[in-house]
Amino acid sequence: MKTGIFICHCGHNIKHTVDVKKLSEFFKKYPGVSVSEDYVFVCSEPGQDLIKDKIIKEGLDRVIIASCAPSLHGEMFKDVLKKSNLNPFLLRRVSIREHCSWVGDDIDKNTEKAKRLILAGLYSAAHHVPLEEKVVDVKKSALIIGGGVSGLSAALFLSKMGMYVYLVEKDSKLGGHVRTLKNIWPSEKNGNDIVEEMVNELVERKNVEIFTSTKITNFEGFFGNYDVMLETPDGEKRITAGGAIIAIGFSPFNPLLKPELKYGEDERIITTLDFEQNIDKLHLSDKPRVAILHCIGSRDEQIGKPYCSRICCVNALKIGNAVKDRYKDSYVESFYMDVRTHPKGGEEYFEDTQEKGVLFTRANVAEINPSPTGIIIRGEDTLLGEIFEREFDLVVLSIGMSPPDDSKLIANLLKITLDKDKFFLEAHIKLRPFDTAVKGIFIAGSCSGPKDIEESINHGRASAVKLFGFLNLGYAYVDPFISYVDPKRCSGCRMCEQACIAKAIKYDEHNRIARVEEAACMGCGLCNATCPSSAISLKGYIDSMIDDEISALMEAI
Amino acid sequence: MSTDKVEKNPEIIGFACLYCTFKASEMAGSLRLKYPEGIRLIQVPCSSRVDPAFVLKAIFEGADGVFVAGCHPGDCHFIKGNYFTRRKIAALKEMLDTFNMKEKIRLFWVSAAEARRFVDKVTTMYNEIKERKNVREKG
Repeated sequence: MKTGIFICHCGHNIKHTVDVKKLSEFFKKYPGVSVSEDYVFVCSEPGQDLIKDKIIKEGLDRVIIASCAPSLHGEMFKDVLKKSNLNPFLLRRVSIREHCSWVGDDIDKNTEKAKRLILAGLYSAAHHVPLEEKVVDVKKSALIIGGGVSGLSAALFLSKMGMYVYLVEKDSKLGGHVRTLKNIWPSEKNGNDIVEEMVNELVERKNVEIFTSTKITNFEGFFGNYDVMLETPDGEKRITAGGAIIAIGFSPFNPLLKPELKYGEDERIITTLDFEQNIDKLHLSDKPRVAILHCIGSRDEQIGKPYCSRICCVNALKIGNAVKDRYKDSYVESFYMDVRTHPKGGEEYFEDTQEKGVLFTRANVAEINPSPTGIIIRGEDTLLGEIFEREFDLVVLSIGMSPPDDSKLIANLLKITLDKDKFFLEAHIKLRPFDTAVKGIFIAGSCSGPKDIEESINHGRASAVKLFGFLNLGYAYVDPFISYVDPKRCSGCRMCEQACIAKAIKYDEHNRIARVEEAACMGCGLCNATCPSSAISLKGYIDSMIDDEISALMEAI
Repeated sequence: MSTDKVEKNPEIIGFACLYCTFKASEMAGSLRLKYPEGIRLIQVPCSSRVDPAFVLKAIFEGADGVFVAGCHPGDCHFIKGNYFTRRKIAALKEMLDTFNMKEKIRLFWVSAAEARRFVDKVTTMYNEIKERKNVREKG
């Protein structure tokens, strides 16, 4: 066996706390190791060329790359092996950045840890065998969950690109929250019109099926062939989709969760959404006194919502403007922590609002007390350091975005993860903001975190583009990590058959042994851990490989 | 000769599910969270891949502690693999209790988002085992 070890410096990321030179020298002398090199960026073009060059010149048959986490650059390094005529499954990645150099500070201890991690890779690589990637057909259809703006824009894009689209919405109408908005900053368009435009375009398309008032009851299968059960008003329906986009939006923060706001106790205390919908029905005098409270349900550790909701500052400005436009002599005061106007033109809008006469006071509001003459707000002006008490005719709560009510339900059905705030977790916050950890399932819009309308539409389209890239190929490679049975060892006890979750193991009555149905095997390895005679093994994670890894991690070196 | 013995650092092997705990450990690295270098992970496709024999093997090889970490119940990528793990590890703990080694093995759930929880869990385990190890050595 000829093994090549390539240790990455990752600029300073690894080199800074791991002695890479010492490591490469150590492994040079190790039996079975033909090449041991350290290089500044193994993932760079020259780095890849170095690997190719060594594979061909030295005739390497195992490659170990000690660098970043295996989830990064995986396909790229596999390609390097393919181009060098080596089976990509003879590659072993060792994470010495995320699991070593970044989590410890002591260079000696880290070098020692990295040495063992690479040794474990070396031991386990000896058990790697060439495997062939399975090719599966991919259905050119997509399931889109949620018919808000991001779901609609994703559906439109995919259907225009020729994919069959199933759009599922739990409400009776498409459009989500945007439909309820009367005036959308900065265009001053009606939300209903924006949504209607998209919906009309969508319903005319022949390759789109829309299911309203529909729930998803079951979601099974793998990328390319997801088997989905829908509960529609006309009964159950079963569909097959190649991939899915989750665009279930958000729930507006419920101010009843903070009883000190007195929301619902007095009709003069309303939310920004109430204001937007009932602007004409408000009974105000000619000189109304209006207070706007920012950050309701955002940046609040006490209620477990430490994040900024991004949209509510602009909403608050909009309300301030609307009141000032209608009642020239009104007194409008905004109580804020910080004014964060993210979108384009937001800062100018903030300045315009101030010029119009809306007052901004940085404050911690402590008490809201309704009285017959008005609503008394007590709080601390945090710039002056003074306590204030003022009376208003109307209090508007600028509510933030909370994760969608169904996020846990959808996450469980689709087996994807939620982040600490209960929004959907992206595969990588910067590099893969649309992907989930599951291949073929994407997230779009504010279900992955607060977003405004423009961002939600962009997010929806971007997810659609990514999904289209996968679907349009028509086929996909699937990791060949499935179980196989050694007929000589199998005693036919049928324990694996009982354990198998995917029902992929069938008992062969004639030969009295177990058999694996390759297409159904999910590759969890439960059967491997269950078999009392070690007759069934999971490719890529065989017993002897993990045994040797344990030995390497514990060995005295 | 000094009477103070050199403090011994435990070595812990962890089996981490590829879909959750391993991802959380990657995130812990990206966030530059720190945990002791004695903790080393082995990646498995699902916590149910962990044969109790691996745990025993690690203990025989000299590991001071072994943990198996998977997805929260209901979140398993393979639907219910972690329920099997839960049963197996419970049975194994009972067996190890006979040899007074129950404390060496732990099972916990860490989702892909819970990098901090991962660090908390492994650091707590490390510190507890370290304390026990050093008390025993001195006593």
